[in-house]
Amino acid sequence: MPTALLVTSVVNTIQIGSLYALMALGITLTFSVIRLPNFAHAEYVTVGAFAALIVSLSGEVNPLVIMTAAFVVGALVALVSHLAVFKPLEGRNVSLYTLILSSFAVGLIIRYILFMIADYFNLFDTRIRIPLQIIYREGALILTNIFAWVAPTSIVLVLLLTLLLNATPLGREMRALANNIGLARVIGIPVERVKNYTWILVGGLAGVAGALWGLQTAVSPLMGWVAILSVFAAAILGGLSSFSGTILGAYVVAFSENTVMLFLNFNFGLDLAYKPAIPFFIIIVVLLIRPQGFTELFNRSRDLQR
Amino acid sequence: MINIDIGATAVAVLTLFGIYALMAISLNLEYGVAGVPNFGQALFVSIGAYVAGLTYTRLLPLLAGEQVIHPCRATMGAALQLRSEIMATQPVAGFINLGFTFLIAAVLAGLVGFAVSYVTLRLKEEWFLALVLLVGGEIIRIVVRGADDLICSHNGISGVAQPFYFLDDPRASAVLFMLLALVLAALAYFYSQRLVHSPFGRMLKGLRENEEVTRSLGKGISLARAQIMLIGSVIAAVGGVLFALNTGFVNTNDYVVTLTLDVWVMVVLGGVGNNRGALLGALLIAIMDRITQIAAIALNMSGSPIEFNYARFILFGLILLLMLRYRPGGLLPESPLTTDAHEILRRVRER
Repeated sequence: MPTALLVTSVVNTIQIGSLYALMALGITLTFSVIRLPNFAHAEYVTVGAFAALIVSLSGEVNPLVIMTAAFVVGALVALVSHLAVFKPLEGRNVSLYTLILSSFAVGLIIRYILFMIADYFNLFDTRIRIPLQIIYREGALILTNIFAWVAPTSIVLVLLLTLLLNATPLGREMRALANNIGLARVIGIPVERVKNYTWILVGGLAGVAGALWGLQTAVSPLMGWVAILSVFAAAILGGLSSFSGTILGAYVVAFSENTVMLFLNFNFGLDLAYKPAIPFFIIIVVLLIRPQGFTELFNRSRDLQR
Repeated sequence: MINIDIGATAVAVLTLFGIYALMAISLNLEYGVAGVPNFGQALFVSIGAYVAGLTYTRLLPLLAGEQVIHPCRATMGAALQLRSEIMATQPVAGFINLGFTFLIAAVLAGLVGFAVSYVTLRLKEEWFLALVLLVGGEIIRIVVRGADDLICSHNGISGVAQPFYFLDDPRASAVLFMLLALVLAALAYFYSQRLVHSPFGRMLKGLRENEEVTRSLGKGISLARAQIMLIGSVIAAVGGVLFALNTGFVNTNDYVVTLTLDVWVMVVLGGVGNNRGALLGALLIAIMDRITQIAAIALNMSGSPIEFNYARFILFGLILLLMLRYRPGGLLPESPLTTDAHEILRRVRER
């Protein structure tokens, strides 16, 4: 495998892995705190991307403003889906399958509303308009300002989220909910409020991830849905409970999809059409062989134990 | 305005109803009765469709005594013409081919269903099974699409004609195909009704309600789960063969998670755990499918800027949410099981 290709694929791994980490942390957080494997998470990402796109089409070029808009819209949609759908169901103590099914339904509704919007306003295959600049060039490796935005922003947000979880009162309350919701309620933690904040955080970060995603590829109503199982693979590698494990998992999934896939393609002639199957294999293998994922690699005391 | 041929529409809706009924009964047996969350219904349906794609291109010419022409790329047109000619002129070859299609699809899907349920015994949490099945369907789809030569990943296989294609009158052919679908659906329905009311069916319901208690009564639950997965998968694959024949087209893009969700909508709408409910759900969804199609065409022709095809999915999502929240048992909720012994007991009590 040529070195230039290797370097490009590693750059891709970093960029996409950072985005996966941002999304997968949301999955881990909802699963631990809300106890919901949320398949509608994909759509918060897409909604954020569309919010970013619409703001950028109105002439805004400052990525910070664009990302803030994506955060607000993503958070709003997540909060509304919680209040309108998931909260009433949780109150009725339904089975986990009902919750999974309703998360699929929420995703379906949002996705096709976005399809309608995209169709109506002719937004298919448009990109978020930020002027493209090349900031670094070395042989075949070209780094643009997009890379300079995507990777560092995701990494900073991931670090901020970890800090929030480990060093703030809200984070402590969220961990308490993840650990034992009954006990959390007994000692006076405002469970409903913490849940609302969790949803805002999860949706907002997914929205920002969508905006960043839309910086590098065209925005489409399917973009979140296409990535969701890769993101789930990352969260499952993190045992659906460990923050550090999820972050590591995100990079492992991105690495397998980019570098390992290219390596297999070059050395064994494996067709690139099989690339989408990689995260699926990871999911199945991890669930069957090592359902705890990477959790045991890290000190679990600070993670979202269940 | 568009003209709607009521007779043809009714035939189309009833054909679709028969196909959907097979899928819904299958999921109802697995999830409604035995509590196995099959989020991979598209996987088992797709096995039927892929097998149809394979037999129509590989087996049918042999049965008709012709050379097999590679179905993809350069020889695509010639292969399609050969298929259509055989289906139009040699009904016997068509029927034998269809019989083999059902047989191979049923065996393959049954094996996969049986194997999956054993593999997933290792899973730590129960809902992982849902994820494994969901992901399994996608893997098969990607592998079939990636293995270009199987069923021509990019173009799909067209000309997967219905068995009565040889008739001169296309209406008669459609009506006969509808009858085939309805008869198969009826067989599946009566079979599953018998199954639910048998001791095995009661054990499955026990398994659904409480695994530990069922095990403590000396029932082998893993075998039971594997058996119901086998039965459900076979029914779904038969539905998949008909699904492919109904559209006349096999393409991997049709067998995605959305199809699985459609089947879930049928079961949740009709009634979880009730075979009659599954039938009702299938009928309602078949009708709704047709109505949204007609509405989309009508709106398009009237120059409306809104693409109505998307509304179908929003509608289905809303149905799911509303049913799960306000009527989780479905329109026809499961009725308590009554056995002969139960009837005698009731009469004795009344005396």
